[in-house]
Amino acid sequence: MSKILIAEDEVLMLKALEFKLKKDGYQVDVASDGRQAMEKVKSNTYDLILTDIMMPFVGGMEILSYIKNDPIKKSTPVLLISAVGLENVVLEGFHLGADDFIYKPFNLNELSVRIKRYIKQNVF
Amino acid sequence: MNFFETIINYIKETYTDRLVYFPSNIRVSLLIILFCAIAVLELYIYIAFRRLHQASQNRELKNWKEHIDNMLANLIIFDESEETDDIVAHFYPKMKKLPLRNSVVNKVLISEMLTYHRNFTGQIQEVLSILYRKLGLDKKSKRKINNKNWEIKIEGIREANEMRITEMADEIIKYTDDENALLRMEAQAAYIKLSEKDPFHFLDRAQERILDWHQVVLFEIITKNKQLTIPPFSKWLRSPNDTVVMLCLKLVDHFMQFDAADEVERLLKHHNPRIVKKSVEIIGKLELSDAEKNMFEVYFDQPEDIKLEILNSIGKISSGNYNDFLASRIYSPDIKVKREAFYAIKRDPNNGEDKLREIYKQTTLENQAIINHVLDNRIKS
Repeated sequence: MSKILIAEDEVLMLKALEFKLKKDGYQVDVASDGRQAMEKVKSNTYDLILTDIMMPFVGGMEILSYIKNDPIKKSTPVLLISAVGLENVVLEGFHLGADDFIYKPFNLNELSVRIKRYIKQNVF
Repeated sequence: MNFFETIINYIKETYTDRLVYFPSNIRVSLLIILFCAIAVLELYIYIAFRRLHQASQNRELKNWKEHIDNMLANLIIFDESEETDDIVAHFYPKMKKLPLRNSVVNKVLISEMLTYHRNFTGQIQEVLSILYRKLGLDKKSKRKINNKNWEIKIEGIREANEMRITEMADEIIKYTDDENALLRMEAQAAYIKLSEKDPFHFLDRAQERILDWHQVVLFEIITKNKQLTIPPFSKWLRSPNDTVVMLCLKLVDHFMQFDAADEVERLLKHHNPRIVKKSVEIIGKLELSDAEKNMFEVYFDQPEDIKLEILNSIGKISSGNYNDFLASRIYSPDIKVKREAFYAIKRDPNNGEDKLREIYKQTTLENQAIINHVLDNRIKS
């Protein structure tokens, strides 16, 4: 069973994403702030990480940067969730190695399909 | 026990039997002390009750929040193959059982439905909107809109806006020209999204100012909403409200509405310099060569920033009709005017750069330095 980490500070969104991904058959780990997410990233291995950009303590970009600079974890796909579609934020994310951007508002079923695709790519 | 009884008896005696024998200043002081003591005691009791009440409300809120969270999270992860009506039929009876008359439940449910509606697209939005109406929450939003308190009005407008309750547009229009700026702005933003017949009707009746930053918000809403039918904004360029004119000029500029050319040209004689400047900028951007003459006529009466904008626009139009005028400007005492005039000459498609090189040979040292600057393609004007 693939393991996914969701890092999102909005509790309601976190719960919705958790329910959805569990329903899709993934093992889901959640973090409600950046610091918690960073600790989980450091001590666990995930098949995919879904993180919000704006979070308290540690932002999504820092988590992304940590993962992509770690020789063991760098192949983990990272999907960034953002409410702002600012060009420079997107560019910075891609420069740091983000695999995809999800803009709020988004379609939950579309997100589900994207996650399935990244996990499949990573497995083979 | 005896100790407390002694104290209470002493106080009682002081205020009943002995009070009359004290001098008047002591009597007044004792009465003030008594009043303060009672007030402090009452305050403590009030605080204690308030805290208890708040704690019980927080407990209730937490319980309901968790219950509603789970219910809505289950709602949004429905199977995509299911029909909207089926999902509504499945969840409506469950949600109907919630004590919606309880203000805590009501508040949590509305806030969570709005959050999901705002963050997700697709069928979820449709399901949430239908449930919102079926549960009668739209009526509550309407009541909030008609509340006397402006903050509650704003809350109601936001709910109606997020849930796309289009029939509320007629209620909201009343507040688009309210004297309370925050309420007015919220109402205008919501009206554009909700009005199906005429989303720009509020501009016809706007007498209050549309603040600069709110113009930015409205501009974003209008330009990013793909479902809006864009009207000719020249219709409002004669508005007595300068801020309406300004917003419409920005929209004429964005949507490149050439039909507004005559109205924009007329605004060159407007009393508000910001409107004149924006009109000049549009004339240059849309290359309205017919307006060149009018710009030339008003040039000498304008403040410096508008003069620069006029030179810039004449340069963009590049008709060649005002080359002599531009050439005369290079001897202006103002260096910014000179620079703009040189840039305008450079933009002339008929060898503008050659003309500058010709001028270079016979002009002052200061002008030669500016020409070098203008001809350097690494520097942007």
